[in-house]
Amino acid sequence: MVRVRNLRGGLPALVAPLVAVVALAACGSSSNTTSTKASPSASQPGASKPAVVIGDKNFPEENILGALYATALRAKGYKVTLKDNIGSSEITYKALTSGQIGMYPEYTGTILTVLANDTANPPSAAAAYSQSKAFLAKHGYALLAMTPFSDSDVVVTKVAYAKAHHLTTLANLAPLGKSFKLAAEPEYATRYSGLIGLKKEYGVVPNFKPLATSALVYQAIDSGQVDGGDVFTTDPQLKSGMYTPLSDPKGIFGYQNVAPIVSDKVLNAEGPAFASTLNAVSALLTLPAIQKMNAAVILDKQSPASVAQEFLKANGLA
Amino acid sequence: MHTLIEALRFIGHNGALPSDPAAPTLVHLTLQMLAISGVGIAISLAVGLPLGAWLGHLHRFSFAAINVSNFGRALPSLAVLAIGDAILGLGLTVTEVALVILAAPIVLTNAYVGISGVDPEIVDAARGMGMSGWRILWRIEVPLAIPLLFAGIRTAAVYVVATATIASLAGYNGGLGYIISDEQSYHLSGVLGAAICVAGLALLVEGVLALVQRSLTPHGVRLEQDVRGEEDLDALLPVTSASPL
Amino acid sequence: MIALATPAVVIPTFGGSPSSYACERANRLFCANWVSRNWSSVLWPALRQHIVLSVVAVAIGFAIAFALALVAHRRRAVERPVILISGVLYTIPSLALFEILVPFRPLGLSARTAEVALVSYTLLILFRNILTGLRDVPDDVREAAAGMGMTARQTLWRVELPLALPSIIAGVRIATVTVIALATVASYICDEGLGVPILAAIQDGVFKTELITAGGLAVALALCADGLLVLLQRALTPWSRAQAR
Repeated sequence: MVRVRNLRGGLPALVAPLVAVVALAACGSSSNTTSTKASPSASQPGASKPAVVIGDKNFPEENILGALYATALRAKGYKVTLKDNIGSSEITYKALTSGQIGMYPEYTGTILTVLANDTANPPSAAAAYSQSKAFLAKHGYALLAMTPFSDSDVVVTKVAYAKAHHLTTLANLAPLGKSFKLAAEPEYATRYSGLIGLKKEYGVVPNFKPLATSALVYQAIDSGQVDGGDVFTTDPQLKSGMYTPLSDPKGIFGYQNVAPIVSDKVLNAEGPAFASTLNAVSALLTLPAIQKMNAAVILDKQSPASVAQEFLKANGLA
Repeated sequence: MHTLIEALRFIGHNGALPSDPAAPTLVHLTLQMLAISGVGIAISLAVGLPLGAWLGHLHRFSFAAINVSNFGRALPSLAVLAIGDAILGLGLTVTEVALVILAAPIVLTNAYVGISGVDPEIVDAARGMGMSGWRILWRIEVPLAIPLLFAGIRTAAVYVVATATIASLAGYNGGLGYIISDEQSYHLSGVLGAAICVAGLALLVEGVLALVQRSLTPHGVRLEQDVRGEEDLDALLPVTSASPL
Repeated sequence: MIALATPAVVIPTFGGSPSSYACERANRLFCANWVSRNWSSVLWPALRQHIVLSVVAVAIGFAIAFALALVAHRRRAVERPVILISGVLYTIPSLALFEILVPFRPLGLSARTAEVALVSYTLLILFRNILTGLRDVPDDVREAAAGMGMTARQTLWRVELPLALPSIIAGVRIATVTVIALATVASYICDEGLGVPILAAIQDGVFKTELITAGGLAVALALCADGLLVLLQRALTPWSRAQAR
């Protein structure tokens, strides 16, 4: 991972206050506060609450999620600082446990395999959710409602390559051995939902090429530098029909719905409206919704903040 | 300091990564970097030395020859790599092209100033003795211009090593920059270890070239330098740094 | 709490009409729309940060180099160690030096670390040029000043420094251009400057427009600074132009 912050992701810090002001003016009071104060400034549930820092990980979908949650919270009057592009799950979780951030959106399967080091594959999305929720509760973190969409890793190759080697599932890669060049982010090497699981469950030991981002992985596949790569199921590039995804029957990539991890301390400090605002946003994130947002950010190079703003506005949350 | 000790240990283990046994070793990456830099320097010398020396011998196009290094120096290396990436795509070719674009001007200007700066009386005397232009260049001007020629070569060589390190940020996956750009896998201790290696490599290249320069400098010129008390390091920068243009 | 039942979700067409993003989708070399859309949020802040980084580095470097040069002017013994240390620092590739400085506690991943490294690069250039400029003042001029009854201090400020001005400004010029180039690499550790959009664009699957624009801005900044300083040099030292003719 290159230690670079996406300036475009830092945009929320600049634009969001303006957006919040406009949103406050336009939306009026749609709060569900239980405050007994009568003054108008208290009609926003977040107005009297302490400032909170939320973070997101280092790829576009997470940047969008961070922008969505931050914008929605600010629309409800919360004082939110968005720490964008922190890093991989391992790094961002450390930022959470060290108190640098109070919340970040994470994937349920990743919580189990990466954060909890639990490689027993859950049988369903609901199971993945409840197991990860239980793990986090032991450490003093709450897991809020999960999104309808799921976004797991998937290994893809070019269509021609898959045809030539008769590839439909990950197990088909085993006989290729090291002649199969696989590109993925550096953390792939140490993860069960990565090289470790590939070896253990499918006997696949590829020639691994670490690349900093998903975009570079696609580029390496396109240019023929590698034969396949690890990408995300919600990527807009997958809709082009140029790539063949390999199925994962043993489920090493797991069920991956998104849910915000919040520390219990922050949850108590920010009040019930904090959680309900976040849940309202999560409920809107269907697969088509997140796919369209990904396309706008990844293909059109729009900023996550403006995409998040437009989406929330269209759905009455900003 | 904890990280420093870890870094030294990393170097001691030849850059082994516990999480990935197939990761390239430090030795491999260092040699790779020397190879990339070597090609870059070689091409830059092949382009800059003959052209600069010939122009200097003829005393033609002085404005262009002297200012090309100012222009080259002004080009931020990462920007050149970036623009090259956009036009030519990622990879080794772009890196080498960028290295040559950045280093050749330094070699050219120093060759020009060195050759053209040789005492005209000496050149006249040689011409009077019946030497051809070619012989004058080879037997008089080049030996006398060794200090400045090498100032350019040394500066360019170090510059190439530095840019080769940065190339890994610009999408080229090789050399010691491979480690420095991947803090995720190698952690700060690994990155620090690789950085120390890069620093050492640059100083080594500079030192070796300084020795080569010393051995190639004609005896008379070396005596003159010692008498004048010139610092060897003084020749680190191209002579154009002192002349107002 | 399991996922809530999905309500009817409205998905707007992001950014207006899809055709306005055709250029970005095709990843053409230069999309004017992207530039105008992202100027104030991405490009201008990066440019502004870059200018600040560079100006601060040159200013601090100049202050330190000036003080050291004045001391070295009086006490020759100071010169060697300063040249040696700053020469070594200058040779270390910038990315390596940035990473080596990061573990030190008060520094870390911040603009301060970048500034420390950038200043050390300017030190060699500025120290050497200021000292050379002071030393190059002809002895008879100094003697004439003494003869006129000037103190050493007055000689320094009224005679030596003005005459050293061409060399000093030449040094500032080289230092500025060098720092602007190095500051693009500094973005890797401090998240400021034009290197940020460059690095982000490379990771973004080589987003060409951003690469060309940010890279082009860095090159333009360096060339502009160089040009402005040349003009300043000519304005402050009109007599040197006459001499050069």
